[in-house]
Amino acid sequence: MTDSKKKILEMLAKGKISADDAYRLLGVLDEDEGSGGEPARAEPVTRASGKYLRVNVIPDPDSPGGERGDRVNVRVPLSLIRAGIKLTSLIPSEAMDKVNDSLKEKGINFDVRSVKAEDIEELIQALGDLEIDVMSGKGEKVKVFVE
Amino acid sequence: MKWPPMWIRVKIKNENTKFGIWLPLFLLWPLVLVLLIAFSPFIIIGIAVLWPSGWGKLAWLALRSAGGIICALHGLRVDVANPRRNEIVYISVV
Repeated sequence: MTDSKKKILEMLAKGKISADDAYRLLGVLDEDEGSGGEPARAEPVTRASGKYLRVNVIPDPDSPGGERGDRVNVRVPLSLIRAGIKLTSLIPSEAMDKVNDSLKEKGINFDVRSVKAEDIEELIQALGDLEIDVMSGKGEKVKVFVE
Repeated sequence: MKWPPMWIRVKIKNENTKFGIWLPLFLLWPLVLVLLIAFSPFIIIGIAVLWPSGWGKLAWLALRSAGGIICALHGLRVDVANPRRNEIVYISVV
């Protein structure tokens, strides 16, 4: 049994993926091995294409009070976000419990401790496709994107 | 290898004040390095002593994370301006 298959079965045992997902993934692995190609390996996680997370707030001069608003232009390196998220490993377990309890109170059944380094990398990678464009009620245009 | 930032540019402007400065961080890093080397025996002993209780590992991770965050500051830019009130706050790390 290859490492990839073992990993899929472990994920299924831990309840991270459904039985259907596991069946589909195992099928893909079998196809890869059957076609004489190289044994399937876990895909290396690639870094996000963008380098910076940009947040722009542009006041609309035409709207009432809009001309008084602040123009904000923030550029945060994704590497800083990565480094910041790594700090979560320093959070004591008691604080993690409190976070989990607060999330549960708000109806979110999520264990913060289950977030792994690979998940974070995937999350940051997904930020590359993020683009938020909001027009607020105060006449401000808010744009969040990765460049 | 990631290098720590070399400069911080700070610009603050309002009706009464106009202030801009380039802070040469590269002058600070040799000093930090010397201090780190000088205190490294104490740091290592402290971490080793605290390791069984779990705090040593935490201290080591905190040190590493602090270094990572400082090096990742490259390219950070905050620019807040209000053209009507002629106010600007600009911070850039290069």
